[in-house]
Amino acid sequence: MEFAELIKTPRVDGVVLHRPFMPTVEGTLCLTGHHLILSSRQDNTEELWLLHSNIDCIEKRFVGSLGTIIVKCKDLRVIQLDIPGMEECLNIANSIEALSTLDILSLMYPFFYRPMFEVIEDGWKSFLPLDAFKDLETMTDEWRLSEVNKDFIVCPSYPPLVAVPKDIDDDTLRKVASFRHGGRFPVLSYYHKKNGMVMMRSGQPLTGTNGRRCKEDEKLINATLRPGKRGYIIDTRTINVAQQAKARGGGIESEANYPQWRRIHKAVERSNVLQESLIKLVEACNDQSHSMDRWLSKLEASNWQTHVKEILTTACLAAQCIDRGASVLVHGTEGADSTLQVTSLAQIILDPACRTIRGFQSLVEREWLQAGHPFQQRCAQSAYSNSKPRQEAPVFLLFLDCVWQILRQFPCSFEFSESFLVLVFEHSYASQFGTFLGNSTAERAKLSLPEKTVSLWSWVNRPQELERLTNPLYEANSLVIWPSVAPQSLLLWEGVFLRWNRSSKCLDEAYEEMVHIIEYNKELQNKVNSLRRQLAQLETEDPLLQTP
Amino acid sequence: MEFSEYIKTANVEDVVLRQPLHPPGRGTLCITGHHLLFSDREEGSCQQVLLLLRNIDAIEKSVENLLTCSGLFSNAGLSQRLDIMLSGSSGTITIKCKDLRVLQLDIPGMEECLNIARSIETLSCLDSMSELYPFFYRPSNASLRDQWGLSSLERHYSQMKELHDRWRLSTVNRDFSVCPSYPQAVIVPKSTDDDMLEKVAKFRQGGRFPVLCYYHKKNGMVIMRSSQPLTGANRKRCREDEQLLQAVIDGSDKGYIIDTRSSQQALQARMTGGGLESKSCYSSWKRLQRQMERGKALQESLIKLVEACEDESNNMDRWLSKLENSKWLSHVQTALSTAGLLAECVERDGHSVLVHGSEGTDSTLLISTLAQLIMDPSCRTLEGFLTLLEREWVQAGHPFQQRCAHSAHSHARLQQESPVFLLLLDCVWQLWRQFPLALGFSEALLLRLATEAYASDYGTFLGNNQQERCALGVKENTHCLFQALLRPRERDCYSNPLYEHTELAIWPSVHPQSLQLWRGFFLRWTPQTHHLEEAQEEIRNMVIEWGKLALSSCPAST
Repeated sequence: MEFAELIKTPRVDGVVLHRPFMPTVEGTLCLTGHHLILSSRQDNTEELWLLHSNIDCIEKRFVGSLGTIIVKCKDLRVIQLDIPGMEECLNIANSIEALSTLDILSLMYPFFYRPMFEVIEDGWKSFLPLDAFKDLETMTDEWRLSEVNKDFIVCPSYPPLVAVPKDIDDDTLRKVASFRHGGRFPVLSYYHKKNGMVMMRSGQPLTGTNGRRCKEDEKLINATLRPGKRGYIIDTRTINVAQQAKARGGGIESEANYPQWRRIHKAVERSNVLQESLIKLVEACNDQSHSMDRWLSKLEASNWQTHVKEILTTACLAAQCIDRGASVLVHGTEGADSTLQVTSLAQIILDPACRTIRGFQSLVEREWLQAGHPFQQRCAQSAYSNSKPRQEAPVFLLFLDCVWQILRQFPCSFEFSESFLVLVFEHSYASQFGTFLGNSTAERAKLSLPEKTVSLWSWVNRPQELERLTNPLYEANSLVIWPSVAPQSLLLWEGVFLRWNRSSKCLDEAYEEMVHIIEYNKELQNKVNSLRRQLAQLETEDPLLQTP
Repeated sequence: MEFSEYIKTANVEDVVLRQPLHPPGRGTLCITGHHLLFSDREEGSCQQVLLLLRNIDAIEKSVENLLTCSGLFSNAGLSQRLDIMLSGSSGTITIKCKDLRVLQLDIPGMEECLNIARSIETLSCLDSMSELYPFFYRPSNASLRDQWGLSSLERHYSQMKELHDRWRLSTVNRDFSVCPSYPQAVIVPKSTDDDMLEKVAKFRQGGRFPVLCYYHKKNGMVIMRSSQPLTGANRKRCREDEQLLQAVIDGSDKGYIIDTRSSQQALQARMTGGGLESKSCYSSWKRLQRQMERGKALQESLIKLVEACEDESNNMDRWLSKLENSKWLSHVQTALSTAGLLAECVERDGHSVLVHGSEGTDSTLLISTLAQLIMDPSCRTLEGFLTLLEREWVQAGHPFQQRCAHSAHSHARLQQESPVFLLLLDCVWQLWRQFPLALGFSEALLLRLATEAYASDYGTFLGNNQQERCALGVKENTHCLFQALLRPRERDCYSNPLYEHTELAIWPSVHPQSLQLWRGFFLRWTPQTHHLEEAQEEIRNMVIEWGKLALSSCPAST
């Protein structure tokens, strides 16, 4: 297919662009296969380069022959284009609609994008499972790296290499895989160095209505327990939902078959409910009415903050079990959504390494990308889309929101600043990088993403970019950080949801000023240190200078 | 009166204190005439808590044991057993402070517990002002002969040379007889003499005739404030009042009157002797009615909000609907948008404005203060802000004693309590949050003021107006809070390290999405607010360190 077929009018002159917090620009609108470009040909006004894949939906209006297209983006920005000429406007609108909903992955922009920067470190190679396992080996020898999934047959959504208990062989794993939803047999998600406790994740057990059991499954998860110790299974569904799942072949670990495990049920909402919540929240944030009551009740009705609270609460529970010396298995239904929210947040709470820029990348890579969160499906549409939601759900955005809540409560414990989280959010929905393309490692391998596209981490891990994303207040904190999950402590994430509604100019300036203060402080401290050293040196060289 | 009458038990050993952000401590509890003192005697820690009794809003004692005992007491033969039970039992007192802190004391001995509770109840709400702590507070680093207050209207007037053409300083109120709630000197149009002022005062509630409160240097427009005109049901008019206001406009086409009541409220006020400026009598003035909540409604809003903040049900929907129900944020929004309107009239449209509600001592002061912060850069420094508060709240006669007698926890029947000043501080915080560089003071200052207004070592917020303060000899017998806040160490703590002077007006966004709960105050005693304070503290320390470095490097370089 050729993009040219979809573009009837590639350029229009005299288009006026309105966007938040920027002066109106008049210029030429160009459509390419991947971008909507508006350039004014004046030096001082910024051009607009918008990825079609960032466009969530458009609306068109006509007044006489002047057409207006309202472009609503997945990063929640809304811009407006005034286009002279009815036909041009319709052509442009049709092209945008077609180009922004292309679902052939190999035609996406990341396959065409060539980096304009020097790649210092190839992000595709930065976080390989093998390296993570080497780190694990320095702490324990109870685990092995299994290649049972090397051709993605045992579990299509798992990576080729997974960490499992040493005593469990590949045959056992194959049997367990047939007993777990989507073949997602229990694998190691996190090893807590301090006390040797572990967190595992999986899909639900396929017990069905007649209570099928699988000895191998029991053997596998029992192998992770220390003698005489009990473990916890955190099921992210309510007991009712979990029981109902039996009718469709799913189920729960029964007490009779898993006597060493205690099951705890938590209600973390899933897909379609979350998508509706996001739509309502964004609608509330964009509400122009001046009524405080209306805003607060819309915020409440969206339920978004409730979801944040539930996820954080469940993650705290998982972290608490581990911190107090019990191993944990987390799963919901498929084990690719709420499960990952819980396991990744628990690691942020427990493991200081996950709170560094690199550690967080590694966490996203391990617990989301390699763990098989279906990004392509979940992030196909954002909050504005009118099309019927299919598999879309802001699962990953909710995770980032929860991280932001913890970051806000512990402003000195994270190496990265809020802008890093916002950046990751943007790229998960639309990006020139290949990182978030596809639904699983299998799909990524099939598309040869590592060879054909650039990784987001290649771009992030460069000095100038790292500097921008670093939290100036950071002081390494090796402790477990327990966030407050009281509703009063959780805030709306303004940096994402009100980003385009209220100018952050003053706040940004204050932030810059703070960075400046901290930099200057460091400089002065260095100066003091070097003067002290000089003084000490002089004193030893010249006895006359020594103070009596 | 002697305080000792009220103190039956002055000392109790082995008391357990539980307070937010600290582990429980065991130690000695003392009650003095003004303070509750707890000192931890455990090894390795020396925790001391000194709490002004005035800061205590309400106490609760758990008395389950007492009930069973009094049942026994009716049975005379068992009184001996009762003694044993009393000495072996213990009680718990929960102390709810006006700064929203909640403390709990476990006291061994039922009788001691009851005595302590009774003392606190009596001593925390003493009526006699001259017995309050500010009259006894004698810090070693200050003398009663130090300057009291930051400025006076006389000084304010003499500094504002541009006023002198058209405005004069009147001392018509030097003995507080014309208006009991005004200071001795006020600024009025030059063309109105004191006789006229006396007549106008009779036409305005509480004698609060229109006076100058702000002069906008950029265009010479002014903000005046007063109370409502006493037109009554038969629409009395007062020529002198009309002349005074005409003199304010002096040649320019028109002025605005911002009435902080709804039209209906203003019309109803006629039945009780009040009223509004009619179009026919004040033809060059355009009246804008902007309803602002006052008095009881505000107090109830605060009570509901604090209750919501203390709710432990851990339910997000419940929290958000309780927050909405409290209406507090709506009041913040209304105050800021009305102040924005006032500033717009003066700064953007270039008109003079008269502000009043009913009494002119609450919502009137709220919006005139906020409008000055929006427009006038000189109010945004630490010193400027405190001077503004002194002029617009203390001297202008906001009845602090009445309004801040109780805070959100009190079970006492509400009288004149109303958190108007707290609402002001909240609005200022919203400004501070939206313009983190533009204000020279820190959130810590706002928190300190919120505490001091309700219970203080200083005399600044004592009494309801200057007349009362003069009668009590506040100036001679107490220390001044504003002076204390400007001493070098305090100044470091209350300055905003990010401050950069800007000449521009700072227009706050009043969209509901832009306004936030002031967590620093309302959730102050929860751990996560504490972490944020620590981060701010860190930045402040850095800036203070530089100051020292700069000083210490000076002699070296010369």
